[in-house]
Amino acid sequence: MKKVIVYLVTLLSLVSLASCVDIEEREDTPTGNFEALWKILDEHYCFFDYKQKEYGLDWNDVYAKYKVRVNDNMNTTQLFEVLCDMLSELRDGHVNLSSSMDYGRYWKWQEDYPKNCDDLLIDKYLGTDYKIASGMRYRVLDDNIGYIRYPSFESAVGEGNLDEALSYLLLCRGLIIDIRDNGGGNLTNAERLAGRFVHEKTLVGYMQHKTGTGHNDFSEMKEMYLEPSSNLRWYKKVCVLTNRSVFSAANSFAVWMHCLPNVTLVGDNTGGGSGMPMNNSLPNGWTVRFSACPIYDKDKQQTEFGIAPDVAVDLSCDINIDEGRRDDIIEAARQLLVK
Amino acid sequence: MMRINHIWLLAFSFWLLALPANSQEQTANSPKVITRSTMIGIGGTNILDTYLSDEHFKGTGISFLSTIERQKENCRWSTLMEHEANLSSCKSRNAQHELEGAYNFYWGKLYRWQLLDGALSLQAGGLVNASLGFIYNTSNGNNPAQARAHLNMMPTGVASYRFQLFNKQIVARYEVNLPLAGIQFSPNYGQSYYEIFSRGDYDHNVVPTTFVCAPEWRQQLTLDAAITRKITLRIGYLGNLQQSKVNNIRQHVWTHRFLIGITKRFSITPHGL
Repeated sequence: MKKVIVYLVTLLSLVSLASCVDIEEREDTPTGNFEALWKILDEHYCFFDYKQKEYGLDWNDVYAKYKVRVNDNMNTTQLFEVLCDMLSELRDGHVNLSSSMDYGRYWKWQEDYPKNCDDLLIDKYLGTDYKIASGMRYRVLDDNIGYIRYPSFESAVGEGNLDEALSYLLLCRGLIIDIRDNGGGNLTNAERLAGRFVHEKTLVGYMQHKTGTGHNDFSEMKEMYLEPSSNLRWYKKVCVLTNRSVFSAANSFAVWMHCLPNVTLVGDNTGGGSGMPMNNSLPNGWTVRFSACPIYDKDKQQTEFGIAPDVAVDLSCDINIDEGRRDDIIEAARQLLVK
Repeated sequence: MMRINHIWLLAFSFWLLALPANSQEQTANSPKVITRSTMIGIGGTNILDTYLSDEHFKGTGISFLSTIERQKENCRWSTLMEHEANLSSCKSRNAQHELEGAYNFYWGKLYRWQLLDGALSLQAGGLVNASLGFIYNTSNGNNPAQARAHLNMMPTGVASYRFQLFNKQIVARYEVNLPLAGIQFSPNYGQSYYEIFSRGDYDHNVVPTTFVCAPEWRQQLTLDAAITRKITLRIGYLGNLQQSKVNNIRQHVWTHRFLIGITKRFSITPHGL
């Protein structure tokens, strides 16, 4: 007994002492920060394979291309610019570099397209006597169509808010949910809202995550189901208004609603952003955000670059508001709902 | 092969913990001696969790440690129970901030040998360690925190030595706990907490561990000196190096604390009705 314990303690002591769980920190130099950023993305980013097929992204080529632009004599502004240029090769709105002086971003997925959303026009439809339920503004339009404006899923919406809003709009002929310019937020807010329009457990997509550092180390795809809310639900027709600035959680909302039979997407393509992001940090304290967990549609297709609407409509800009300009996307949705 | 090793190690641990049952009957009516110490500590903390950041975070923390040892006279077996709670605030080399907190509960049995006419006491046995904790990174927006939980079997050794110094009775005590096997909670490498807790999609989130993938090392060295007839001062050091490498995530929380507290020793004599 004594011998067993002595041997065991000696063995465990040696193993424990010899096994420090640690990693080597990179130097806080421009080169060290460049290497750290490239490596973090190399090991954690989730769309390398997909984007290689879409537009030929090769992360090793990106390393070679930008490595020559980095040296230890550059200042922080120059380094920030090079690192942001490197990250923009990923063409991902979820990839950002945060420093105290700037916020590195890739926003071409919305900047290069028509905006298709005008807050002044929306205000004209909402008037001044609209109702507010947490993050939602809503009212009944003149032709008895319900209108809900939800510009950000960062703003929480509770079951009580949804009960009140849907009760108020109960007698409407149809409902417009305007999520244009909704850049995302909390996925559970999107789920809670979508749960009011589904009447049986419905497969709306798949999700997976990385299980290792390799570009193709992924878990199996897990089904994502929308569960019907046990509270008040909407059975009539719904139009969801989208534009290129519908991103991240709002993109997921559009993808999920697209699975439902009584829902029509109206407007422009969504912006995408289907990778749930995570953060890490560089030796100099800058924080990097990147897509980590890909979310797919119900057919296991990527929606990273957005989805197309059922009815494509652009805002016309040939007359101004004072001359009676109307929101063409809202008007198109109204026509669909009164048919 | 790995699974067989885990089962063997767990079985051995339970055997270690089950040993005292044989000798309990003959000492059922012996007085029970209880040594209870309560200490607080302050010292350094070093945190690494690659799920949150590849940077190291260093800082200061405080700890509370309560140790209770129960032993019947004429019995070589004793029961040791410890509560350890700590809270730390740490910064990276570029002033990013992490908070860390944990509660550890230890319970187990120790077998005693008396040497040098009772001046030296050696104890060996095993403890079960249940731990709950968190690491919170204030810079991360999407993965701001890491939950920590594990259950470990820990072979344990204790050496106590009594001696006189300046006409005071001093007791020096050294305790070391090493990991053998256990289980630990961990998200998978790139798995989000949204998947685990909102969607219920689990993926190797309860991981078997051994001293190879979770090589922990906990030790404490204390000195007891009687201040009055009723109060004994205890000062010492507690080092708790908790670390793991599971699901491709490396994590360590190393805490070093200088402790101060009091110790009470009293006995309870059972009375038959």
